[in-house]
Amino acid sequence: MSSLEAFARGAGKYVDDITLPRMLHMAVARSPHARANVLSVEGGMNAGDLHALVGGFGEGARRDVDPAVLHPVFASDTVNYVGQPVAAVFAADRYAAEDKLDEIDVEYEKMTPLTTVEDALSAAPLHAGTTSNIIKQSWVGVDFDDPASPVVLEDAFTIGRIANNPLEPRGIIADYDGARLTVYVSTQAVFSIKRGLCNTLKLKDSEVRVIQADTGGAFGVKSALYPEYVMAAYAAMAYRRPVKWIESRSEHLAASQPGRGVRGKMKLFAGTEGRVKALRAEVTTDAGAFGGTAGTSSPFFIAMQLTGPYGIEKARVLATSVMTNKPPQGPYRGAGRPEAAFFMERMMDLLADEIGKEADEVRLVNTTTKPFTSPLGLEIEASRPFFEKAVAELKYTEKSHNGKAGLSFFVLVSAVTPGESARITVQNGTVDVWLGGNQHGQAHVAFVKRLLSEELGIPENVITLNNGDSDALSDGVGTWGSRSAIVGGAAVIAAARKVRAQVQRRRGSYTADTLLDGNYDREVFDRHARQLNSFGANLATIRIDKFGVVTVQECAACYDVGRALTPKVVQAQIVGGSLQGIGQALYEGVVHDANGRLLTKDLFDAGLPLAENTPDFSITIVERPSSFPHKAKGLGEAPTIGVPPAVARAIENVSGIRIRHTPVSPEELIGSSDTQEATVKRR
Amino acid sequence: MRTRFRVNGADVDLDVEPRRLLVSILREELGLTGTHIGCDTTNCGACTVLVDGKAIKSCAMLAVQADGAEILTIEGLAEGEVLHPVQRAFVEKHGLQCGFCTPGMIMTSYWILSQNKDWDEQDIKKQFSGNLCRCTGYRDIIESLKRAKELARGEGREAMR
Repeated sequence: MSSLEAFARGAGKYVDDITLPRMLHMAVARSPHARANVLSVEGGMNAGDLHALVGGFGEGARRDVDPAVLHPVFASDTVNYVGQPVAAVFAADRYAAEDKLDEIDVEYEKMTPLTTVEDALSAAPLHAGTTSNIIKQSWVGVDFDDPASPVVLEDAFTIGRIANNPLEPRGIIADYDGARLTVYVSTQAVFSIKRGLCNTLKLKDSEVRVIQADTGGAFGVKSALYPEYVMAAYAAMAYRRPVKWIESRSEHLAASQPGRGVRGKMKLFAGTEGRVKALRAEVTTDAGAFGGTAGTSSPFFIAMQLTGPYGIEKARVLATSVMTNKPPQGPYRGAGRPEAAFFMERMMDLLADEIGKEADEVRLVNTTTKPFTSPLGLEIEASRPFFEKAVAELKYTEKSHNGKAGLSFFVLVSAVTPGESARITVQNGTVDVWLGGNQHGQAHVAFVKRLLSEELGIPENVITLNNGDSDALSDGVGTWGSRSAIVGGAAVIAAARKVRAQVQRRRGSYTADTLLDGNYDREVFDRHARQLNSFGANLATIRIDKFGVVTVQECAACYDVGRALTPKVVQAQIVGGSLQGIGQALYEGVVHDANGRLLTKDLFDAGLPLAENTPDFSITIVERPSSFPHKAKGLGEAPTIGVPPAVARAIENVSGIRIRHTPVSPEELIGSSDTQEATVKRR
Repeated sequence: MRTRFRVNGADVDLDVEPRRLLVSILREELGLTGTHIGCDTTNCGACTVLVDGKAIKSCAMLAVQADGAEILTIEGLAEGEVLHPVQRAFVEKHGLQCGFCTPGMIMTSYWILSQNKDWDEQDIKKQFSGNLCRCTGYRDIIESLKRAKELARGEGREAMR
């Protein structure tokens, strides 16, 4: 049975579908205050039982931070966001566990929360033993003298926080047999969870096994180690009973790690023909209440990418991650890439308006005709040939005149380093595969089957891709950053070639039949250190009704995927990612009030797009082979990078209102219906 | 409270705590874990089942309210190895990625087709307003629905079942 068929039958095994004998259900008591001193906690399991810190595991996480800013598993002296875990209770079923929350008694002394970056930068530190609310701050790029430029443009942009909102919330089951902890979890990366649990609970590598349950979407939020996972594992060890925790949607919105939440100040120095000579910028992330998550690293990653696909010779960026009384920031599909592209593409449009050129003309003069390494460290191929092709494929000239289309051009920086692991076993005529990065909707199984049938000449129906299992591999990274087809695919090929060589050594020559006739087992960690970046462009047309409601009419994409290993999956990734990009531009947000209380409490408040928000798609796949053996490049995050700036420009073209943030709400656009002619206002 | 209903053609007779939701009984007492829980606010539709022919969110109904009802869940669609045309269409048209919203999407599709209405594409999209998907962007779900209609007609199934 293919996994698609299993899912269509309702026969998937997600973590909440697993029941172990004597299993306890965990419920978590959370802070109702954005900032308070905790005077006492009575009842449940709490900081008096377990004092440990999380942070530093998962996509974009950093371990080189002051331990004073790490997230405690249970709050002890203070709470720093609404939803922060304070205690946990356990019962035989979920209803009873929720009932037991009433037994927890916490005495708080409320404090004034810091809910904006401005407040946080000027206030005394949130965490004792620290000197400021800045987690990390440094310059990226070397300083330069401002060039004498006839055009100097400045603007500032804000991208609101977005909840990942996979349809399956987070969840875990921990089971301890007295010697070994076995964890079933909904995850992108079994090894992040394993390393995190070993570190936090001081367990040996051999004492923890992490098994991936079927994972119902993730988008970044399921790679980190969370306090609840540590609680469940600790309780399983303390009570010697399996412990299950399944996040509710309300908890997901309040207390998982939302993405985005970044502002950028940009200053361009350009000639009258539109050539950008230099860029100065500041990128500031609202990292939330604790450090060590992707919120710590994201301003630096954004800064590195800021020149995008353009040959800008001078650039310097001040990157800062700042703590506020909100949940910690994490990665969300794109994870820094959409922010960088939004800031630069908005400036390109501003520049076009300023000097009276078309949006494609000003971009074209800034493309490169040779490979280029930016002063911020971004490596790109020559961007002009792709851009010229994309403008033609997207029919930009026609659609900008008739439909006031918005255009975007970007570079996708795939998370290639440090590579990925793969293992192949052959037994009884069947081929089993494990990858270090775990599929959760991307259909890794499709590229694994394609590549193995090409490499080994075997039929696809003998190949099984197993879910992640830390016992099946000795190491692994994870699925994020548009990396899986690139490094997962390369690792599968490397392992297949080792198996092939083994068959040749043993049997004298290789045939698919001799392979399937024997027993083989090879694991590789295929290392990669170089960047593998690729180009993409998007076009969007929109309508605005008299209530200011924007409808995206057409969403067109032109992406270089190197080689489309599985064309159906490529199309599906682009359509799904594009609606997430539209979501960022128009609907989605995690919003807290001035007291740090969550306003977006359900999926509709959080703005998840509906079927009726889906536009018409036209997709052009460009295949310029990469240097990898499979020739593929990254893809998954491309639509979330390219779509928001294209939609923002289309809104600007139709409404005449300059767009400086996402999401753009109808209230801002009332009276700018596209039944009236409009011109873009300058700054 | 003693509660009797039929699920996928089988009689069920249970003593049910009145506060428990239908989805909780389906999943935890009857082991029908194909019906998923994606939210606690009745937004997502992952728990959609048919109760007396109507698509309902089983997180928005108490189990005791189902007393006397005929319930169809995702597990009741296939006949052994043979997938129902709606399920086959979702596989063929890639109407799913992570698979978590899928049982709800398929049950809603089944209900839409059972209505035998000549809805245009925008009408169909509106029928899915109670079912959320984060992966697919919905396009391939709509294509799956159209394909299911063709498959069902080809097999001489005008209405569903």
